[in-house]
Order: sequence, then structure tokens, then C-alpha cells
Amino acid sequence: MSDFRALRAKIAAIEASGRATSESLPFGDEAIDGCLPGGGLPLGRWHEIVGSGLEVETAAAPAAFTALLAAPLARRGEVVWVLRRDDLCAPGLLGLGFPPERLIQVCARDEAEALSVMEDALSTTGVAAVVGEVEACDLTAGRRLQLACEKQGATGFLIRRRPYGGQARRETTGSAAATRWAVASAPSEPPAGEFGLGAPRFRAALERCRGGRTGAWLFEATDAYSWEMTDVAHPLRLVADLGDRQLAPAQPLRLAG
Amino acid sequence: MSPEAARLGLHPGQKATDAMALVPELITAEADPQADAAALTALADWCVRFSPAVAADTPDGLFLDVTGVDHLWRGEAEMLADFRDRLSVNGLPFRCAVADTPGAAWALAHFGKEGAIAPPGEQAALLAPLPPAALRLETETWAQVERLGIRQVGQLMSIPRGPFARRFGRAALTCLDQALGREAEALTFRRPPNPWFARLAFAEPISAPEDMARVMADVTAKLCARLETEGQGARRFEIAFHRVDGRALPLAIGLSLPGRDPARIAKLFAPRLETVDPGFGIEVVTMMAYAVEPISGRQVRLDRGREATVEEGLAPLVDRLTNRLGEDRVWRAAPVESHVPELSVGRVRPLAKPQETKPWNRETPRPTRLFRRPEPVDGVIALTPDDPPTQFRWRGQLHRVRRAEGPERIGEEWWKGGIEEVQVGHVRDYYRVEDAEGGRFWLFRAGLYDAKDAPKWWLHGIFG
Repeated sequence: MSDFRALRAKIAAIEASGRATSESLPFGDEAIDGCLPGGGLPLGRWHEIVGSGLEVETAAAPAAFTALLAAPLARRGEVVWVLRRDDLCAPGLLGLGFPPERLIQVCARDEAEALSVMEDALSTTGVAAVVGEVEACDLTAGRRLQLACEKQGATGFLIRRRPYGGQARRETTGSAAATRWAVASAPSEPPAGEFGLGAPRFRAALERCRGGRTGAWLFEATDAYSWEMTDVAHPLRLVADLGDRQLAPAQPLRLAG
Repeated sequence: MSPEAARLGLHPGQKATDAMALVPELITAEADPQADAAALTALADWCVRFSPAVAADTPDGLFLDVTGVDHLWRGEAEMLADFRDRLSVNGLPFRCAVADTPGAAWALAHFGKEGAIAPPGEQAALLAPLPPAALRLETETWAQVERLGIRQVGQLMSIPRGPFARRFGRAALTCLDQALGREAEALTFRRPPNPWFARLAFAEPISAPEDMARVMADVTAKLCARLETEGQGARRFEIAFHRVDGRALPLAIGLSLPGRDPARIAKLFAPRLETVDPGFGIEVVTMMAYAVEPISGRQVRLDRGREATVEEGLAPLVDRLTNRLGEDRVWRAAPVESHVPELSVGRVRPLAKPQETKPWNRETPRPTRLFRRPEPVDGVIALTPDDPPTQFRWRGQLHRVRRAEGPERIGEEWWKGGIEEVQVGHVRDYYRVEDAEGGRFWLFRAGLYDAKDAPKWWLHGIFG
């Protein structure tokens, strides 16, 4: 086992191409941190976040989830959010616990421009994280993003979002992303006896993870829409481990008889 | 008035029929003051190659303030000769003169010897033999001067000031004083005079892209060196390429923080350089800096601390992005004191100083995605008068509402519009709903409850 670990460390060192092993941002729960390499969301890499169904076009749950992931990073530096459609609502991000005063929004005219702005922002000192809303990212563009991330150790988040009314593109195979998350909203559970909605919940499946294991979890943004400001390590709290069940077909198995 | 026309006996102010009688083959054209003004403006822009301070004197004149620029031609005479050469090449009839004051220059250009240069402080002698009209007097004053038999400016100058003002009016005295430099005259320059100006002229016109890139870097370095010696930085730089055919092609860039680093500024210009068509060649390049303000010199960091300053990281990024995408495409959201959701977010420049406005309320939930225009939803089933919907259809998909909260009633900003337009019914009742799959939406019902009409429902945003 220790041989295996040593080998792994060796491979990581080769992959890091000389630079010190990068930091990571732990979620604060062993169930998920254990799956991720280095015990947390790797920083200085880029992560892919995808939605499903209508969310492919609106990308609201992926955006909310990304804002929650990037909120601890916003305390270290600026966050640049590259959009194709300027419908991101800053008060909504504030409600989730993301500081909008650290956010610079950029509206790109097309896909290639969005990717090049992301690359430019990632390689700038003082930028802690870059979020980009892009329809697809091929292997070359992904590799370029990765190189840009390594320059200053900024973390990239790429939200896959198709323009409204656009045709579905052919899925590109392979990706240079460190992780790939499939995110969807999940029904909230308000405390017993309370009306209305509970804290927002997200079902997030870690579909790909370089040097780690996949998994699926139910997260809750406990402090959303309240003044109890988050000084905790991470605004996302793990509610349940969905294991691999959620990745199985949603249709329950019907037994005859 | 061209010399050919004068030879035929034509003169300005002549009746068209008289002129036709004199010259039957005369081609007449309607006066077009707008086109004349446009042409004068174009000429004024062209004159910027001689002096940055050019003022139009409608309908047919230009004033150039050549103070401190004539040495670039080694003297006023050479400058005037160059000016006249270039105007003649373009086939423009002209008269010009150089004098200490705009008034004297005007008088000499209109009535004196063409191309006269009044030596400093000696315009009085040159003005004396000119007719009184040279002083730009009002028509009535001028008529009175004529009636009194005064034929020369010299005679006017010899009248004591008191009686002069009494007889011809204060305005006439001002005209005389302005011509003689006893009173200042304010010219409205086409571009406000700007001391932050650099210029490069070439012996041979250039047109190769690499040459243009080099001269751009050179002129930038020249201007930035001046900014540096005076401890200043500028937020806006404009470069103009003056072509052989007389057109000036401008390019401009803006900086989010005042700067004077020539390499950085030249880099911002570089991507636009290919839009400049050099035509037959570029002979002069000028550059100006605007919004100049003092900046402190940069100190080289010795400690190589982890904390990066704004100047070295973020400011260049913001400049690159704004100059590439446009100023309205890079912004920071800032709170605006309005309860209307779409009006509560303002855009500020990314590196602007934060405004002292009330921050948004964290406790009122606002969606992650707010549509610019609310989208209509149909198939809404809701209990009247103000229960949240139990189901709705959006984009062809039916959503069954599992949980809901609201309403949050948001009215219009009635104090902003006219009093007639204010209606009680201009309200929206917002509900935050969650469907069975967990999707969270921000819906509103437009207007107040009305027993007759079914209420109209809209989707304004998604929480995700």
C-alpha cells in the first residue's frame, strides 16, 4: 500500500511538472475530501461543471454551485466571471454568501473570446478564480486553460452552458479538467414546522476526478439568505452521501410478480 | 472666391441673375451651410498636424495657435511656407497670416498681404494701413466708421479711447484691443488645447506594418518620458496617423488607472494597428494624453511579497479587456438604491472606488439568474386572490410546485414618472417556488387581483 502511495506521489510530481504540489480547498467532510486528490478541491487547476435538462441553457444551479465553491477563494483575491449572456444577478450571489464586491463580470461576444478572456484572467496576479460560461471546451483549449492556471495558481471553473435556442453540439471526448461535476437542484428540507423553502440544496455528482474517486453527494448551502455570515471553511455542507445510486438510472427497477 | 471667377468680374454677394448675365456658362449650386461646416471641420482636423489648438472661425476661417510649435519647422516662416504648400497641393484657395493675436491675424489674412508674418509686438504698424473692416466690427459700427470718412485702422487707433468707446460702442473698442493684443480673446478650439502632446515626422512616408508599430512605440515612449519627468500619468491616450493624402486616422485607448508605462500602452494599441490603412504612406504621427493626473512613482519591490498590487496584476488585465471588448462589457456590479429587482444592480468600472451606497439585503432572496425581460408562463393554477401557484408551465415543461414562499409585493417607482402614469395596479407579487425536482424559480403575478381577468404570471429568474 505504501509503495502504491509513493508511486502516486511520484506521478503527481511528474504531472505538476516541477512546481510544488498545489493546494486544495477541503469541504470539511471526510466523505468527500477522501475522494479528491490532496484532500479537497484542487486549486490551480480547472473544474468543469455541467447541468442537465433545461439547466443546459439556463445554468442556474451550476452557477449557484460554482459561486458557493468559489466563495472561499473570493476572500483571497478577485474573481472574474466570463459570460456570454449577462443574466448573472449579483444580489443573488450575495444571498448565497459570495461577495459580489470581489467579482468582475466580463461579457464576451463569442465562444473563442470567452475562452481567451478566461485564459488571460487566469494568468493574472491578483485573480483567485475565474468562472467561464462556455458551451464546449476541446482538449487544446482545456490544455491552454490548465497552463494558464499553473502560471499564478488561480483556479478555473468552466460552466457548460449552451446559448438559448442553440443546437446541441457533439460532445467532445476527453477533457483536461481536474474534476467534472454534474450539478442539479435538489428539493430543500426546511426544519419541521417552518413554512416556505429551506436552504438551497444541490445534488452534485463528481463524474470525473483526476487522481481521485468519483462519487455523488447532496449539499446544502446552510447560510444562504441569512445574515449569519459564513466564517466557516466552506459554505457548502454535506447532507447525504448519495453514493453511486444517483448515477444509476433514475427509473426504479420494476419487478414482475 | 477663386481668382478665375474674380477675373470674370464675379464677386461674393452678387445676385445669381447678374452673375449669369456676366458669365452665361456659369454653373450655380445651392448654398449648403452644413456641408460647408463639415468641410471646415475636416480642414480643422487636418490642421492638427501643425498645431493641436485649432479653432474654426465660421463660415470660412480657421485659427491655429502656433505658440510653441513653430520651432518644429525651424521658425514661423518655414512653417507658413509648409502650410501654404500643403494647402496649394490640395487645391484649396486660401489666404493666411501669422500675428500675435487672433484679431491681427484675421485682419492681415483678410485685408493684408497674403502670407504676411507680423513680427512680435509690431502688428500695429501692419494693421494701420488696413481698412476698418479688418477689425471684425459689427455692420452698424462699420457703417458709421465709413460715414465719418475713416478709411484706415491707423486713424481709428489715433482716436482717444474715451471718445472712441462713446461714439462706436464698447464692442468696437474690444475689437480694436483684441487686434492689438491689449485684451485677450477666447477662441473655441476644436479640441481643447492639450499640453500632453507628442509628434513624430518622417522624412519619407512610412507604410510597412512593422514601421508603424515602431513609430507608435517611439511616439508613446516620447510622451511617456515627458509624463514621467513631470510625475504625471494619463488615463486616455489618442494616437493619430496623418497620411500623405491629408487624412488623419485616430486610435484611442483607455486605462483604468492613470499610467505612463510606454510598453504597456503600446501593447494596448498594437491589436488595433492593423485597422489603420496607411494608404500612400504616413508622414506624421501625433499622440495626446488626456485625463492627466499626478501619480506616484513606482517603487521596485524588493521583498517579492505574495500580495500583488493592483497596478501590476489587475489593472493591466482590466485595460486589456476593456480595450479589446469595449467599456460596457467589463464591469463590477454595484448596489443601486431601488427596490425594483432589475434596477437594483448598477454597473461600475472594475477599478472604480467603491461608492457609499446601501448594500443589498442578504435576507431577501434574489435569484442567481435574473432575466432581463421576464418570461411569460402559462398553465398556472393558483388559488385566488394571492396564493402561490401550484403548477406552471415554462418553455413547454410543466413544473409542479412543492414548496413556495411569498408574496413579496414590489411596486413601481411612482416618484420617478409622471403623476398621470401612476397606477395602483402597477405592482408585482413575487413568489419563490420550488418544484418537485428541486428547481427553484422566482415567479410574479402582475397587477392586483381582478375578479374578471385571469392574472398574468411571469418568470423573472431562477435560483438554481
